[in-house]
Amino acid sequence: MTSIARTDAVAQMGWPPKKLLPGIFILILFLIIPLSLLLMTSFWSASFTGLKAEWTLANYARLFSRPVYVDLLMKSTRIAFVVTTITLVVAFPMALWIANRPPARRMQLMFLILIPFWTSYVVRTYAWIPLLGNNGVINYALMKTGIVTAPLDVFLFSQFTVHVGLLYVYLPYAIIPIALSLERIDKDLIFAAADLGASPRQQLMWIIIPLALPGILGGGIMVFILCIGAYVTPALLGGTSGMMIANVIPDMFGVGMNWPLGSAVSLLLMAITMAWVWLLGSRVGFRSIFIGD
Amino acid sequence: MGAILEIRNLTKSYGSSSPAVDNVTLTVNKGEFLCIIGPSGCGKSTLLRMIGGFVEPTSGDIRLDGQTILKLPPYRRPVNMVFQNYALFPHLTVGQNVTFGLEMRKVNPEERAIRVREVLKAVELSGFESRSVLELSGGQQQRVALARSLVLRPRVLLLDEPLGALDQKVRRKMQIELMRIHREVGITFVHVTHDQEEALAMSDRIAVMSNGRIEQVGDRVEVYTRPSTANVAGFVGESNRFCGILQDGEDNAQSVRISDSLRIPILTSTDVHVGSAVELFVRPEHVAIAPLDETGMAMFDGTVRDVIFLGESARCHVVLEDGTPLMASVTLSSLNASGFANGTRVRLGWPKKASLLFADNAA
Repeated sequence: MTSIARTDAVAQMGWPPKKLLPGIFILILFLIIPLSLLLMTSFWSASFTGLKAEWTLANYARLFSRPVYVDLLMKSTRIAFVVTTITLVVAFPMALWIANRPPARRMQLMFLILIPFWTSYVVRTYAWIPLLGNNGVINYALMKTGIVTAPLDVFLFSQFTVHVGLLYVYLPYAIIPIALSLERIDKDLIFAAADLGASPRQQLMWIIIPLALPGILGGGIMVFILCIGAYVTPALLGGTSGMMIANVIPDMFGVGMNWPLGSAVSLLLMAITMAWVWLLGSRVGFRSIFIGD
Repeated sequence: MGAILEIRNLTKSYGSSSPAVDNVTLTVNKGEFLCIIGPSGCGKSTLLRMIGGFVEPTSGDIRLDGQTILKLPPYRRPVNMVFQNYALFPHLTVGQNVTFGLEMRKVNPEERAIRVREVLKAVELSGFESRSVLELSGGQQQRVALARSLVLRPRVLLLDEPLGALDQKVRRKMQIELMRIHREVGITFVHVTHDQEEALAMSDRIAVMSNGRIEQVGDRVEVYTRPSTANVAGFVGESNRFCGILQDGEDNAQSVRISDSLRIPILTSTDVHVGSAVELFVRPEHVAIAPLDETGMAMFDGTVRDVIFLGESARCHVVLEDGTPLMASVTLSSLNASGFANGTRVRLGWPKKASLLFADNAA
């Protein structure tokens, strides 16, 4: 029924849909044109003075021949994958708990989850330095209790720190869609599962998780996209070992003065991200993730 | 016909308001089809959900085969429920929905397959195993919900307004279907509905609820013909309802004074004091209205297969000699007089002028 209503609404707009023109204009100006330029630049040549409009595949050849870029891409994908998995494992029980509160309480809890967004995530990321640093809270506590004699430097400026930072910043992006999709599950379905002999664990396995899958995958895709292209977190907390692919792109456009290579790296990152999204999305269908039902 | 399910002094109250279920005591007999009826909000669904284990009673006891089941979680209770909106699992196929309970109970795959096939045959959905439940019509979804519960062979099957979402025609069909299935599987059915016609049509016994209490429990004909309270009389079946004052008339005959010009003579009442306000109910079928003439009749012989009791009348499902099915309405009095039971040989007929003739364009 909703799909019929939706189709009617679209049909009423006519073609081209006039009401959508402002949106289409913004999309063309800020998305289509810049992306086309990026695509074009990635096939141009670099020179000492900047760009040369000579078509070449050299940028992509260089990208794949230098292990540093491939390694960085692999590392970024791995970090994003690990963080997404941990985020989902942490987010699901929280979302389940929130979704089972009475409606008024649920709103309060959702609100609490959104509170960190009131502060810039740069500031929130910086906050980890006094926590994890050599003179930070954790090392101070470890030394005071005599567990270690010298401060441990593994906490800060490592891949570990990047994982912690990303998990912290992007957790709400997973909790909210999962909680919403759990909330939408008809309670009678869970009663019916219990009635048919499913223990609480079986209800979770066979009914609740499968029905919340759109929310789980939606949240997962969101976190994955945000993580794979993360810039601020690895820049502030990663040091050299925690560097990710997005951290090298600005240098190519800045001090490196190699826009074509920078464009090629950007596009490759985008392609990898889209491939993952497509892979995850095709498991349940984009329709159920982004539209519902 | 021993007791299978005993509900003793069961009460459920939410906070300070009057209890949703108020000190209900009810015995369900093995193999019977019991209907619990009452207006919405009377507590009948809450009662059913307490039996299923989804609502915890405030006090009282529920005993199945003599053992209390109060401490058992829903997934350990040997009763199953058909939900109002079927609650079919939307991400599973028909076959997966039906086999779900067997899988949870770790029944081995061969037996699972056999039982699923059997039950789908019983609800006439053979070959639907791999269909998505979302593709099915309301009536078909209803059958899947029924099959999903029946396949577990519950001690008692609880039905929570299972036909409420269906349109009139499908509902009638499913009523007959439910009766047939009940007869064939021999499982005890406890059916909750607000539709008194449905209860009269299908059940062996009826429990009438109002404001959380049970007003009357009895055989369907008894509940209909001898309601014990005005609530029951008003709720079950159609009635002409009068309000008046009980009066003494001449020769010790009593009457109810409705207005200055209307006095309804009654048999002498011993329960009500003369001079007090009364409600008086008269069923429409007791108000006789006679046809004047009758011309030629078409006459056929057949056998009664089902008698659907509708309250004021009954519908006999008859099969003629050549196998043609035929439905006939019978008044309560002629039903009582002739005692139509399943298997009775009958003669049917109708005035020639009652047959409406149309050209068959399809032929």
